[in-house]
Amino acid sequence: MVVLKFKINKIIMENERLIGLAIKISKNRDERAFSELFDFLAPKINAYYLKNNLGFEQSEELTQEVLSTIWAKADLFDPERSKFITWAYTIARNKKIDLYRKTKNKTAEDEDIRHFLYQNNEINDYEIELSINKIKKELDENQQKLLKMSFFEQKSHKKIAEELEIPLGTVKSRIRSTLNKMQKFLL
Amino acid sequence: MNTVAQKNELIFGYSSGNLTEAKSLFVSMYLYLNSVAAKKASIFDNILADNLANLDEVAPKKINYKDCINSTYNQNLSFKITKNNNPLTNLIGSIDKLKWKSIYKGFREFNIPLKDSDTIKLIKMDPGISVPLHSHNGKEYILVIDGSFCDEYGEYKKGDMQINDQKIKHHPIASNKNGCICLSITERDVIFFGKLGSALNLFTFIKSFFK
Repeated sequence: MVVLKFKINKIIMENERLIGLAIKISKNRDERAFSELFDFLAPKINAYYLKNNLGFEQSEELTQEVLSTIWAKADLFDPERSKFITWAYTIARNKKIDLYRKTKNKTAEDEDIRHFLYQNNEINDYEIELSINKIKKELDENQQKLLKMSFFEQKSHKKIAEELEIPLGTVKSRIRSTLNKMQKFLL
Repeated sequence: MNTVAQKNELIFGYSSGNLTEAKSLFVSMYLYLNSVAAKKASIFDNILADNLANLDEVAPKKINYKDCINSTYNQNLSFKITKNNNPLTNLIGSIDKLKWKSIYKGFREFNIPLKDSDTIKLIKMDPGISVPLHSHNGKEYILVIDGSFCDEYGEYKKGDMQINDQKIKHHPIASNKNGCICLSITERDVIFFGKLGSALNLFTFIKSFFK
C-alpha cells in the first residue's frame, strides 16, 4: 500500500515536470526544455520500438519522428485532459501503425486514413485515474506482465507461450481471465 | 463464450495499435458512439503508457534533440487532430447519400472499401425486417449505428456491440419503429438455416466468386 502510494506520487511529480517542459516548448520554443524532454523520452520510445521487434535503425528513425512531432505539435497537448506520457505513447503507437501500413501497402495514398481510424476520444485521463490505480493494485505481477507482452510489446500468444514456457491454451485463458478481472474497474 | 472479455480484447487491441484497418474503423466508431467503451480505451491507453514510462531504456545512438528540431523544418507534418468527429462519415461521407446494394427486400448493404482481409460493411434493415436464422463460420462483429434490432439474446441499440461466433445461432429482427443500420465485420462467411437457408447459402457461395 505504502509502496503504491509512493509510486503514484512519483508519477504525479514526473507528470508535472513533463507538463512544465511541454508548456515551455509550445509557448517559448524552448530548445533547452526540449533537450531535457528528449533525454527523458527518446530512450523509452526507442526501447518501445525495439521491444516491438523493429531493427535498431528503424527504431531510431521512428523515435526521431515522434520527438519531431512533439516539438512541432506541442501546442496540441492539453495538460488539463491528458497525462503527458499517455499523449507521447499514442503518438509513438500511431507512428508504428503508419509504418506497418506503409510496408503492407506501398501505394498507400497520401491522405492518411489513420486520422479517421485512431481518433482521440474525449475522455479525461485524470477522471479515470482511480480505475487505473485500482487495476494496478488488483492485477498481480504475472497478469501485468502478460498484458505488457501481449498488448505493449505485441507478442503473439505463441511467442508468449514459448517465452514463459507455458502451453498456448494457458496463455489465451490467462489473458482472457486478466481482462475479465479488469472488467469491474472499467465501468 | 464471454463477450465482455472479447470486447475488452478488441479495445485493448485498438489501444495497442495491432488491429487491421477494418477493425480499427469498427472500434473507432464504437468508441465514438459508446462512452463506456471510450472510457475503457482511455484506461488501456494509460496502462500501456505506464509500461512506456517503466521500460528499461535503450538510448538511441545516432539521433539527438537537434536532429529532431531540424527535421521538422524539412518534413511535412500533416498531423490533423480530428476531435469528436464521426470516424465513419469522415471516411465515406454522409450515410444518407450512400449507394446501397439491395440484397433482398428491406435488406441493403454497403461495402466499405478498405484494404483488409476482413470484410467491413454497413447493413441497413427496414423496420420489422428480419434475417433468417444463421450462424457464423468465423467471427462476426455487429455495431448498431442507428435504430435497433433484437434477437434471441436481447435488444441492441445505438452504440451496442454484438460478437457472434460458431456457437451462436440467431435470428435478428430490426426495430418496428426505425429499422436498423449496423456496421458489420465478418471474418468468414455466414451459414444460414431453415427454409430460405439453402438458397441464401448458395447465394453467398456464388457471391464469393465475384468478390
